[in-house]
Parts: sequence; structure tokens; C-alpha cells
Amino acid sequence: MNLPKIDLSVLPDLDMLTGVFGSLAHLGRIAESDDTLFVLMTFLYELHPPENDTPIGLFF
Amino acid sequence: MQLSDQLRALRTDPGPQRHAQALLHAKLLEWCDRFAGHALEAELAGFAAGGNLAEFPILSACFDPGDGLAAEMVTALVALVANGLGQEPLGQVPMRHFTNGMISTLLIGRNGPVSLALVAVDGIALARRPNPESASFAPNHGWERVLAGSAEGEFIDIAPLPGNRAQITREPLSLAPGRVIVRDYTRRSIRLDRIEGTLVSLRLQRRRDNGPLTREYRLSDGALVHQAAGNPRDSRFELAAALLGRMGRTDAVPMLAAMVREDRPATLRWQLLRECLSLDSAAGFEALTAIATSPDDPLATPAGALRAQLLEQYPQLAEIAPCPA
Repeated sequence: MNLPKIDLSVLPDLDMLTGVFGSLAHLGRIAESDDTLFVLMTFLYELHPPENDTPIGLFF
Repeated sequence: MQLSDQLRALRTDPGPQRHAQALLHAKLLEWCDRFAGHALEAELAGFAAGGNLAEFPILSACFDPGDGLAAEMVTALVALVANGLGQEPLGQVPMRHFTNGMISTLLIGRNGPVSLALVAVDGIALARRPNPESASFAPNHGWERVLAGSAEGEFIDIAPLPGNRAQITREPLSLAPGRVIVRDYTRRSIRLDRIEGTLVSLRLQRRRDNGPLTREYRLSDGALVHQAAGNPRDSRFELAAALLGRMGRTDAVPMLAAMVREDRPATLRWQLLRECLSLDSAAGFEALTAIATSPDDPLATPAGALRAQLLEQYPQLAEIAPCPA
């Protein structure tokens, strides 16, 4: 069977596109945050803290 | 570029920085010892796995308006961290933190879809921002307790209407220390108008990983202006599928074709389906046919239309039998 190679650009999108997690149309005056921020926030602290006895789910 | 002697010294000798980090870390350990950090961590894990807040004594005390635990815990945490920074001003607070000049957050704990954070919103910075045009509704559930400061604002509630619109209703809101707000973020958002000083609150959130998309509606007329993945995992899958497609990784087709048929957001499944069709027209068309012939599938209509379009363009696709599954 001779099957076609379909180009991605001819395959339509749905009517309403969906942005990536955390994307917004208007930043405006967002005075509230949700957990999006915690996923996207940059973490500058060194990966291995000096000691390893902090509960893992706390602070990191 | 000018560097202070103190910073210059840090560039050549990492010792003082390690010392600063060790000190700040010790402060957090002290806090964990004082406030049963391991028990709190276990509660966050349990809450992430499901269950009601009432089953978790520390967390439920933090969001009980009559209980002083939240204020006590946060006051001690801030005092310890401030004391550590007083001793080591160039130290990095070893907690995830963020600020944009108006809103600042310190992440106290996190487990999967659950986060516990300290949030501060600065009233002067808030007053400088333009009024919001829209409000965003994410698949989260949240508990928020005001610890300091007061604010005026409003709840923004939505009820979805057909045709990508929502009916918006507003209700005045006053925040003062002790107030606890529990809300479903998919239905209710908060807009702050005025803050006296800085509004500080403790916030617990639990994201619904199989929840709906995050939707943003225009406040003036309730029109849907944007929608986004409701959790980071779906966006990662979409990006990974796009990358596999561009790399021509046909070996990924069976996995993509299987994911197309799984219980995932329709928008993600559609993108996976497109990548699948482009990588391997036979496997993709089989998946497309399976969707188009499942009337309960939310993608049945667009899948049917695409199937018809492809059959017209490539009649040889008609020879591909739908997967019996």
C-alpha cells in the first residue's frame, strides 16, 4: 500500500488554541497568584543543600 | 563594573558562601524541629494523595480561623530567616522564592499538586498597576488565610455559557487578619483593589491534575480570551510530541497513538494526533478513525471532518481498517 506522507501544516488546529501552562493573554494587575508561579519560578539555590536532613517536601 | 570587596572575596573563595548557606539551612532546620516539619511534610504528601483537609491536623489548624498556629509558625519562620540574613546578608534563602515588586512568595512546602506558600502583596505597587482586563480560572482548590494587612476587592464568579463565554458576577470582598477564604479557582477568582500596607497570607493549593484547562475571561463581557493547559505535565507532553515530530522519530508513533486514545485533555490529544499523522499516516489515520467513530469522544466532530478531508486528498487511506480496540 502506498501511503502518503502528510505534512503537519495541512493538518488543522482546533478552533480555539491552547497555550502552554502558565500562559495568559493579559498580565494586567494580577494581584493573585496560583501555583503556576511555583512551577515556573526560577530556583537559584544550589541543588544540594549543606545537610540532607530537611524534610524533602519542605522548602525545596 | 564595580564589585564590592565582599563580593570580590566570594568570587575567589567559596567558603564564606557555603558558610552563609549552612547558617540559613540551620535556621530552617530549627524551624522544622520546632514545628514538627516531618509531620507537616507527611500531611502535605497525604493531602496531595487526596482526602479532606480535616484529616490533617497541622494543615487544618493553619486554616481554622480560631486557631493561632498559622501566625505562630509564620512569625517564627520569618524571624529565623530574617535573623539568618541579618548575620549573612549575601546568603540565599534556601526556599523557592519569587517577587515581581508587587507580589512576593516563599514556598514553604510542596508535594506533587499541593503547595503551601507565604504570599505578600504590596499595596503601593498594586495601586500603580492598571486595572485588570481579565480574570483567570485554573483547576485548583485553595485555602487562604490572611495573616497581616487588610484589603478591599471583589470575588469574581463565573458560570460558563455556551459559545466560549461566561456569565460574570461580582461580590465585594474585605480581607483582614484571621479571614480564611476557601475557593474553587475554576469558578471563583479574586481581584484586589486596595491594600493597606502589605497583605500577607498563608496559602494552600491543590491542583486537579485531571482538571479542566485554565481559562481566562474578559471582565467587561465575559468572552473567553485565552485558554492554557491546566497542569505542566500536559504542556510537557505537547512540547515533547512536537520535538519528536520535528526529529522524525517514527519509533515514538506507538506511544503517541496510544496517548491519543487515553483520558487526556482533548486539546492535547489533538496535537498528539497531528504529530502521529505526520510521522506515520497509517497509524495516525487508524487513531483518527477510532476517534471519529466514537460519538462520545469530544473530538469526534473535528476528527470526522479531518478524516473526510484526508480521504478526499489521499483516497488510498480508505484501505486502512480501523483498530478493533
